[in-house]
Amino acid sequence: MQQPHFWRISSFEQADVQQPVPRSTAGRSRKIVMALGLTGALIGGASLAVAQDANTEALKPAILSLKASKTLLLDVELVGERLVAVGSRGHIVYSDDQGESWLQAPAPTRQLLTSVDFVDDRHGWAVGHDSLILHTSDGGESWSVQYRDPEIDQPDEENFGFLEKPLMDVWFRDARNGLAVGAYGLLLRTEDGGQNWEDASFDVDNPDGFHYNALTEVEDSGLFLVGEMGTMYRSTDYGYSWETLEEAPYDGSWFGVAGTGEAGGVLAWGLRGNMFRSTDFGDSWEQVELLTPNNGPLESTLSGGQLTADGRVVVVGVGGVVATSDDHGRGFKVTVRSDRVALAGVAGLPDGNLVLVGQRGAMKTDAQGVSKSSSAALTLPEPAATEE
Amino acid sequence: MSNKNWESAPLMERMIFNNRLIVLLLFAVITALLGYQATQVRPVTSFEKMIPLEHPYIVNMLEHQDDMSNLGNSIRIAVAIKDGDIFSTEYMETLKRINDEVFFLPGVDRSNLRSLWTPNVRWTEVTEYGFDGGPVANRPAYMTEEDLDELRVNILKSGEIGRLVANNFKSSIIEVPLQESYPNPENQSELIQLDYGDFSKQLEEKIRSEFQGENPNISVHIVGFAKKVGDLIEGIIKVVMFFAAALVITFVLLMIFTRCLRSSVTTLVCSVIAVVWQLGLLHTMGFGLDPYSILVPFLVFAIGISHGVQIINAMAIESVDAGDAHTAARRAFRLLYIPGIVALVSDGVGFVTLLLIEIEVIRELGIAASVGVGVIILTNLILLPILMSYIGISKRAVERNRQLSSRPQKLWRFISGFAHPAVAPISVVAAVLAFAFGIYYGQFVEIGDLDPGAPELRADSRYNLDNDFIISNYSTSSDVLVVMVSTPPEMCSAYDTMEAIDQLEWRMNNLPGVQSTVSLVTVAKQVIMGNNEGSLKWQALSRNQDNLNTAISRAPEGMFNASCSLAPVMIFLNDHKADTLTRATAAVEEFAAEHDNENITFKLAAGNAGIEAATNVVIEKSQIKMLLTVYTVVILMCLATFRSIRAVLCIIIPLALTSVLANALMAFLGIGVKVATLPVIALGVGIGVDYGIYIYSRLETYLRQGMALQDAYYETLKTTGKAVTFTGFTLAVGVATWIFSDIKFQADMGILLTFMFLWNMFGALWLLPALARFLLRPEKLRS
Repeated sequence: MQQPHFWRISSFEQADVQQPVPRSTAGRSRKIVMALGLTGALIGGASLAVAQDANTEALKPAILSLKASKTLLLDVELVGERLVAVGSRGHIVYSDDQGESWLQAPAPTRQLLTSVDFVDDRHGWAVGHDSLILHTSDGGESWSVQYRDPEIDQPDEENFGFLEKPLMDVWFRDARNGLAVGAYGLLLRTEDGGQNWEDASFDVDNPDGFHYNALTEVEDSGLFLVGEMGTMYRSTDYGYSWETLEEAPYDGSWFGVAGTGEAGGVLAWGLRGNMFRSTDFGDSWEQVELLTPNNGPLESTLSGGQLTADGRVVVVGVGGVVATSDDHGRGFKVTVRSDRVALAGVAGLPDGNLVLVGQRGAMKTDAQGVSKSSSAALTLPEPAATEE
Repeated sequence: MSNKNWESAPLMERMIFNNRLIVLLLFAVITALLGYQATQVRPVTSFEKMIPLEHPYIVNMLEHQDDMSNLGNSIRIAVAIKDGDIFSTEYMETLKRINDEVFFLPGVDRSNLRSLWTPNVRWTEVTEYGFDGGPVANRPAYMTEEDLDELRVNILKSGEIGRLVANNFKSSIIEVPLQESYPNPENQSELIQLDYGDFSKQLEEKIRSEFQGENPNISVHIVGFAKKVGDLIEGIIKVVMFFAAALVITFVLLMIFTRCLRSSVTTLVCSVIAVVWQLGLLHTMGFGLDPYSILVPFLVFAIGISHGVQIINAMAIESVDAGDAHTAARRAFRLLYIPGIVALVSDGVGFVTLLLIEIEVIRELGIAASVGVGVIILTNLILLPILMSYIGISKRAVERNRQLSSRPQKLWRFISGFAHPAVAPISVVAAVLAFAFGIYYGQFVEIGDLDPGAPELRADSRYNLDNDFIISNYSTSSDVLVVMVSTPPEMCSAYDTMEAIDQLEWRMNNLPGVQSTVSLVTVAKQVIMGNNEGSLKWQALSRNQDNLNTAISRAPEGMFNASCSLAPVMIFLNDHKADTLTRATAAVEEFAAEHDNENITFKLAAGNAGIEAATNVVIEKSQIKMLLTVYTVVILMCLATFRSIRAVLCIIIPLALTSVLANALMAFLGIGVKVATLPVIALGVGIGVDYGIYIYSRLETYLRQGMALQDAYYETLKTTGKAVTFTGFTLAVGVATWIFSDIKFQADMGILLTFMFLWNMFGALWLLPALARFLLRPEKLRS
């Protein structure tokens, strides 16, 4: 049933198994198929697994660095009074003063961490590349590895080269039940707080192995999962059975999804400023028009976002885009930050301010995403209002 | 004078003075030959000669030079608009014309030229259907607001802000890669070497003056190795002008000293001949005139003058009772040729210690200077007396000398007070304090270049102002340390390699003084992200080898070599101060020690900061070695001459005080110990010891005759004091003109040498007699 099959790549050579010498880049580089030029994409070795003890021997702990909060961070979450953010090189930083200053927590990995989720102010999980799942039970101050891609330690030499499967998002319903989703249709599930992770990839009808990019809970409805090439899935039983949405409103990739705070309300967004809104848990969709401050169409990729505790929806994107909505996602006000930094995630603070994370780490801003001090760093002349 | 008298003369004197015409003819022929050679001397700034070739960093760099050839040699031209921004027809049109002009400059690698107007500068965008992209400038001209708006959007999408386009949008850069050799346009099979001097001149004439002159709203800023070298060559040519100034000042000093036009002119001519010979020999030996060895003609000239003056001085004294010029010249020669040769040889030995330093320019400087003093033996100890034996000293000068020797001289009387028993202790205490002060301040001397920008040039030079402009308007640093990551062939893109490079980069990024790093890993992460629809969550190395190979195949040229066995990691530093460099190289070495294995080695170093780090190490090591050697040589020479440790102390202590104070002066002026200032120590000590030797030998003679110390010192001053002061001033004048050089390190050398020559003279006149008061026992000398 699990024949390895190749899509995206027209020709695929088998790597020399005996001599894992990297192929020369000169002359043998493969043709990249459009935007999805990811070579060696295949679904292999995904057996219904058997949770296992994560082999942490080969892991190198993250280096404690003063720059940890100033380099790439991908996700941030408000946990009680504390903010916890994760990102590159196994950096996990937390702030107890609403994002003014950050401390780095020791973490057992140097891999890129993509997402973090807490169920209360003590228990949280972070996921990332190498299918890593880290866990904390002290509010983010210390972390241990719960899961890591078993293929890293037991390479399947018979197969077609290693396929890395980064996890992209994690969601926990309570301290025991949670899901982690990632690239090539990877879906992991736990019922014991992460002691055991079960590979539940085949619960979702995703024969092409499209990436899952984001997962969210929708008010009074269930779970909503979005991914590559316009794929959308929903689960009313919080992760056990999944329904594929055949009538997706858009065929580009979704990078984020959030509830709107209303029952059945979902917002999904992705490439080139595309954002769609549903009020019926995905049965029907309408596009949300996002306009730049000059009233031009927003064309930046939107990456992360969330429904804040006080009911606002905030979505951020590359090029310093911060879009905020006070009306459950019906309309957004868009700010383009003067530093045009690529943003990946956002957390809303109780006082209305925001904490943004992205290429240059964490930044505390006002409710519109404008930093108090950093605007002097880089100034761009705005084009005169463009018509059309 | 009977011929019989000459028969008893030393062989050397007979050989020369009995064949005066033949000797003169010989000199004329050699001068003509070497003069022709001297005209062939060209300014050179050979890069390799300025670096310590034997240092492991440099060995590594040269080993991988070919692999990294694409990294380096380019210049950057920033075209700025003062009023308005780059989104204007005026700016874009001017930029286009400059771009076209640069395109046709010989030596430019046209296919890799990059600017807003070249088609290789592109914008890209991720869309649902793949990458979308195109050249940033896609219009033949930018005449309308709509066109300019589109340009603005394209630039924003191109990711070139901070690189090709200034952060404030008031300038943009034309990147001009250069070819070291390029085909002759007239004869394609022939390769022409790029002439940096000429190239730099063309940039000034055809680009800067042309366009700045045409539109005062436009300013042009040019940086890059080729431009810097061009400016250095220009600086060398300017320094030649200083020679004329030194010549004139020296002539004035000579006139004051001798009061005799013909002997002044003759001395000057002989010294110039020495310079001509030295330059001729330099070219014959295959050397050019680099910014360091151009010091040598000045030194040779000054040393020549000072020895010439000794001859003239002796002749003037001898002329008082010698009947004719010939006799006076012969007597002066007989009196001086041995001490003269000894002094010059000792200078030469001092210069030879420069050969200990493993930096080619310093060695060549040592060789050139040694050759120069050798030449002086011929021109000023032989040619000068022969010429003077024909010309003679003017009657007036002889008469003046006669009067002077009989008159008491107030100045010398005053200075002889330094030998007084009451004054000497004060002097010694003052000297001890000066030592303490010098040693204390000397601690603050730093190794290496301290100023920002190109350290070879002045901080306010055109090049450094341009450099400032580019650093402050673009996200770039001019101080780059390159670590060469070496792997077996085809392994540069292996995950383990890339992962290790990534670790190195992060460690370096966390080091104080490091701004940022770039390597194929940095690029690969961006490409992998781009290949995954630009999603930030993919900004990581992939464990999939095919992914990595694809990623680095899109890396810019120079990020890895053709066989994928070498990848440079560029570490951008805040500055090139020794501290910063040491910290960075130590961190890399520590990392290498932890991570080197059979599949990957981290090698230091290339980049200007790497070269400077290596140079600093060599300089620091050599500094002590050279000081020890030069002092050992000088002490041994003094011991051999005077056979007394006390004598050696009298001569060496003032010399050491000068060295210590010179060190303090360097700390005070912010001059670091570097390639340029290291030789100064040897030159200062080597030449400075002469004063002590002259004074001490005379003093000892008078003491042996039974004089009291102060009287003996007064007599010493009356006979040689004048010559010593004169020598101090001529030497100082010779190098002082350098202080005005456009080349920073020449100015530094000028300052330090001037100080050392003057202070050595002062130390010999002031401290030596005070020390003699304590150290010498006249009664013992008498017996």
